[in-house]
Amino acid sequence: MREKIIGIDLGTTNSCVAVLEGGAPEVITNTEGERTTPSVIAFTDNNERLVGRLAKRQAITNPKRTIRSIKRQMGTDHLVKIEQDGKVEQYTPEQLSAMILQKLVKDAENHLGGKIKKAVITVPAYFNDSQRQATKDAGKIAGLEVMRIINEPTAASLAYGLEKNKEQTILVYDLGGGTFDVSILEIGDGVFEVIATDGDTHLGGDDFDQRIIDWLVGEFRKDSGIDLREDASAMQRLKDAAEAAKMELSTRKETTIHLPYITADASGPKHLEKKLTRARFEHMIDDMLQRTSSTVEATMREAKKSAEDIDQVVLVGGSTRIPKVQEIISSRIPGKINREINPDEVVAQGAAIQGGVLAGEVDEIVLLDVTPLTLAIETLGGVATPLIERNTTIPTEKAKTFTTAEDNQPSVEIHVLQGERKMAADNKSLGKFQLVGLPSTPRGVPQVEVTFNIDTDGILHVTAKDKATGKSSSITIKESSHLDDSEIDRMRREAETHAEEDDKKAKDVEARNQADQLVYSVEKSLSELGEKVSPEERGKIEDQLRSVRDKLSQDASADELRQAMEELSKQAEQLAEQAYKQTAAESPETPSDQEQETDREENDGDYVDAEYEEEK
Amino acid sequence: MTTRKKQPKDIDGKEKTNGSGKTETSTSQEQLMANKDEELLSYIERLKRLQAEFENYKKRMQRDITTISEHVSDQSIADFLPLFDNLRRAFDSLDENNATQAFVDGIKGVFGQFDQLLKQKGVAPIMAVGKLFDPAKHEALLSIESKEERNTIIEEFERGYSRNDRVLRPSKVKVSKGIIPPEEEES
Repeated sequence: MREKIIGIDLGTTNSCVAVLEGGAPEVITNTEGERTTPSVIAFTDNNERLVGRLAKRQAITNPKRTIRSIKRQMGTDHLVKIEQDGKVEQYTPEQLSAMILQKLVKDAENHLGGKIKKAVITVPAYFNDSQRQATKDAGKIAGLEVMRIINEPTAASLAYGLEKNKEQTILVYDLGGGTFDVSILEIGDGVFEVIATDGDTHLGGDDFDQRIIDWLVGEFRKDSGIDLREDASAMQRLKDAAEAAKMELSTRKETTIHLPYITADASGPKHLEKKLTRARFEHMIDDMLQRTSSTVEATMREAKKSAEDIDQVVLVGGSTRIPKVQEIISSRIPGKINREINPDEVVAQGAAIQGGVLAGEVDEIVLLDVTPLTLAIETLGGVATPLIERNTTIPTEKAKTFTTAEDNQPSVEIHVLQGERKMAADNKSLGKFQLVGLPSTPRGVPQVEVTFNIDTDGILHVTAKDKATGKSSSITIKESSHLDDSEIDRMRREAETHAEEDDKKAKDVEARNQADQLVYSVEKSLSELGEKVSPEERGKIEDQLRSVRDKLSQDASADELRQAMEELSKQAEQLAEQAYKQTAAESPETPSDQEQETDREENDGDYVDAEYEEEK
Repeated sequence: MTTRKKQPKDIDGKEKTNGSGKTETSTSQEQLMANKDEELLSYIERLKRLQAEFENYKKRMQRDITTISEHVSDQSIADFLPLFDNLRRAFDSLDENNATQAFVDGIKGVFGQFDQLLKQKGVAPIMAVGKLFDPAKHEALLSIESKEERNTIIEEFERGYSRNDRVLRPSKVKVSKGIIPPEEEES
């Protein structure tokens, strides 16, 4: 096992640690169960050192010995004086940062179960040499070998794998809890160069919360004449509610802030209830967002880049979840935003990737491809039945067993499809082949195993094998994974827009197939049982059979079919029970249809096929 | 594969002296190397397949975890629905007959039901007032001078809860600074 090199985002307000596991970065949860750790350190009365959430909780009782935002002091001569047992201890920013690092490393060791000695640590792009050296020294004090110091925007770009593309210009917009940074990078041959960077060291999500708090306080004073600022408990509740409202407005257009019993006066308890719309919130923070916007402009001017020159925009920091932030950026630089990765974790993830590269973990073997689109075969009723889902890492092999849909069916056709749509006709056809020479049997008896095998080169080998005779037939498809990105995008988008109608179509087909199967098995049971079924019972069942068949021929809706089926299947159940007893007694080696389904492993329950029927 | 055709020259040279016949050894050496190459390639192939399988396993686990946590959420939300129903009933009856005492009694009943449900789920309140402040369980909102010993909790603003020794939410509290002599007063 190679030695792990962890990636650390040592932030001003929060820090995050990640590690490369099996080729992908994974964020490590701390002992408090959180994925990020507040960058707060405290020395308590009984000489205990607290880092993270606990240090933050006790800050008010212990303000002189609680240290926040030490990152702002990195690379300076600033000394933090801490009084302990009557003595004054002095700590450098490096020592204090080391304490945060130690906590992160310890959590990582707990998670990974081993000693961590090496790390990659990120710093803002604007950090100068002494600030970088100080960060490195902090690592050393924490007992780490700092393998590399990398820029935060570079790490974010690495997390998105942007270095894999050719020469590019990237803009990284990083709006965190308390700081704002913009950087413009150029990548070529895997080398990142920061060509311009700017920002505001005191602007972030906390300021947005404060605006909501101010508004709530003002509104409450207007309504009740009470100033909540004098009430610490009320203010804490307001702060929590403001942050929650801000977060909710990232996904909803409106939220209501309920704070019953927020305070009381002579007339009795007072409640706070306020509606906040997204538009109003956006208006509240507009001046701050405009400031970020002009910083972006200034950075672009400095880098001598126009919007057209920017190939990618990467969003970092929790506040970039605010829709208005995204709107402002995309109005300036349209259609280039990357925001799939959690913006609180993207920097640590990138650092972990850098760590993986340095550890030699990222090499040819590890860098495996994925199938961009789902691979399926066409089954009864023109449905595309997936064998390999999209985003499956290759090489891979998947097999499923299918059966025939007609009695004495001599062959099956395997139609290989690619795409996300539910119906075969809407997907791309990759090829077809036949498996012939199936023995004469009733439908549902043959077991045809279809295997999809994608090798390391992305070549798809499809094999169909009749389990009874061992006969097989196959096809090799070379271009299964060589679609260009625009085609993949188009196919995925189409699948999304048609999802609903596709779903309905697939459900209709499923109902038809089920009805057809039911009719078939009831008919079979009836003939097998012969005279053992009373004429009266037979008449009833035949009436119901006719009704289902009629509905099938009339192209009835899925609901109508289901209704007709329900009545028939009640009868069929009793019949099947009889049939089972009968066949079990007479010929134990021939299981009934019902048994076939439940007997086999990995039965997904939908037994449908074009010429054959899925069973496995 | 080109590697399979590689001639194992160096080893061949050394081995010659020990061998009974030159050509025979060379052929068997060649054969051996070819076999080794083949073995190596099959290992690489297996490694890649294992790696891909691991990736797919991780993706599947991720999906499973999401599904499971959704189910867990569903279940715990469902447990609270009867409380919501009863609150609604209370308000409906209030609209109908404005019987305030009955309403208060009803709300008391719902509160008792709520309390019981939390107990069933192993939720316990965190003790605060009179205890020493512990940041693992409490969050300090205020710190004031008082006769109480330093770091003692003197008021609870919001109750905290734990479940099976895990803190669901810390208590939000006011903490004593003790009595600070004037000359040492914190600025």
